[in-house]
Amino acid sequence: MLSQSPARLAAWILLSPALLFVAVFFLLPVVALLLESFHVGQTYGLNNYLAFFADDFNREVYWRTLWISLLVTLVSALVCYPAAYAVLKINPRWRGLIIGLIILPLMTSPVARTYTWLVVLGREGIVNKSLIETGLLQEPLRILFTEWAVFIGLLQLMMPLMLLSLVSAMENLPKDVVPAARSLGASEGQVFWRVILPLTREGLVVGGTLVFTGCVTAYVTPALLGGPRVTMLATLLYQKAGVTVDYAAAAVISVVMLLTTLLVNFLLRGRAAKTARAA
Amino acid sequence: MRVWLGWLALVLVLSVGLAQQRTLTVSGFGLNQNLIDKNITRPFEARCNCKIVWEVGNNADRLAKLAARKDNPNVDVALLGDYFAQLAANQGLLERLDTSKLSNLNELYDFAKNPLGGNFAVAFTTYAISIAYRTDKITTPITSWRDLWRPELKGRIALPNITTTQGPPVVWLVNRAFGGTDTNVNPGFERLSALKANVVTYYNQSAQLAGLFAQEEVWAAPVGRFAWGNLLATGKPLAWARLSEGQAGVSNVAVLVKGSRNQELAYQFIDFIISREVQTAQANDLVDSPVNRNVRVSADKAAQLTYGLQQIASLRTVDPDYIIKVRDAWIQRWNREVAR
Repeated sequence: MLSQSPARLAAWILLSPALLFVAVFFLLPVVALLLESFHVGQTYGLNNYLAFFADDFNREVYWRTLWISLLVTLVSALVCYPAAYAVLKINPRWRGLIIGLIILPLMTSPVARTYTWLVVLGREGIVNKSLIETGLLQEPLRILFTEWAVFIGLLQLMMPLMLLSLVSAMENLPKDVVPAARSLGASEGQVFWRVILPLTREGLVVGGTLVFTGCVTAYVTPALLGGPRVTMLATLLYQKAGVTVDYAAAAVISVVMLLTTLLVNFLLRGRAAKTARAA
Repeated sequence: MRVWLGWLALVLVLSVGLAQQRTLTVSGFGLNQNLIDKNITRPFEARCNCKIVWEVGNNADRLAKLAARKDNPNVDVALLGDYFAQLAANQGLLERLDTSKLSNLNELYDFAKNPLGGNFAVAFTTYAISIAYRTDKITTPITSWRDLWRPELKGRIALPNITTTQGPPVVWLVNRAFGGTDTNVNPGFERLSALKANVVTYYNQSAQLAGLFAQEEVWAAPVGRFAWGNLLATGKPLAWARLSEGQAGVSNVAVLVKGSRNQELAYQFIDFIISREVQTAQANDLVDSPVNRNVRVSADKAAQLTYGLQQIASLRTVDPDYIIKVRDAWIQRWNREVAR
């Protein structure tokens, strides 16, 4: 016991710079923000929240943000499970290169990447030109400045996060479990649902939380690919804080964003725990 | 000990030397910054033995920053659209100008000398807002705001977003074109709401609009004359519409931020940007239309600018006080009825 406490003290001392930093530059501002969002005149109350959600435009923005973010999370999980599995099957000599290529989009500036989408998805862009030249379309599709453009931009932006989380989760999968399940007569579907999914749930939770949070808070992609027609929480927040200087509404939006991501993280964890128990 | 004193002396000498290199912080628009550096920053720095630090962004952002730093301002001079400067003045962010310190003031057109009243600002440029359009795609010239509703422009126009500087003046002009008044903007909003099918998107910066023209997304858009040089640089065949309803004028003004610690330098800077020399250089590069009466440019350049007393006199100025009063309500209404 006695020998433990100096070690514990040392741990606290080692932790304190990081703790201090987090407390001063993260926790305090978050608490201040929380308080500000309840601030009504001289007192505190729920009025800012009620006013925000009473407005059907704001509700529309909230639902749009929610469904686009959930769809991006879902689609990236569906696409990345087989991809992560394939990455692990690749000769380890090439795996480093493949992982490098996956990370590459994360290393380019979000502004440059988004401007590229403007060119690709535009009326005269590669997508429309090739669809028209192959005769699949008569008229160019309107993709840019719609919800679909935002979806496509976010999916490309966030997919590497999901893929990397799943790859690292699958790396920890014991080598024998899949052959063992097969030898016991499990079908491909059973192998996935009863063996791979429960054992890689942590990766899914981490990846899902990163992707969803990233989508809810992304600013450049909805601002440039969606424009004012596809207002999302992040772009509305900017309008409230930077243009109309309505800090109460801006604080409400920030807190709503925070709570939404916490809720989704909580749900993903619950779901993961359940599949783990089922396994 | 002596070595130590020697170092101390060196440090003191260096810090005095650095202190003499004064810094002036100017809040500006950022558009055409390379030309502004050529015409203003470098010549002024050479003259004043000081350094100019630019803080750039759109009007709304920069005004929000000025308000946030009210008690400890980091900006000395701000260049703002007229109604944003009026907002700043209303919030007590500006110093009244001592016009006796501006030797070039008398060379300006009268409207530019004291555009907000109270000597809070001096205009350094004024620009018309009209419609820029592709002459190869739109063969019947655009001559009225009503032409934006033509069916052949379906999915081919961009409007300035309501949060931009041009947004509210465009709403005001459209409202007038459809018979609305300053107390009844329903005609304007109803027509703008019905324009949705023609609108590709609502742009937030004029640089973004140049991109939309370059990529063939857009054939026509209301825009300020200051962006004309950038639009021409897209290489597309473009014309500037002469509208039967007349053009609206908005001025950009220079203001002195309250609490600035470099006031003498700030006055020199404001005086410099309204001088004949700078105004001529800026006009020839199509950065800003001149408000100095003594500026002479070629007929060819004049045609690309808002130039000359006659043209300036024909502009309908949008009243900054009116825009300020209605802006927040218009943003809400626009979000709900137009950009949806």
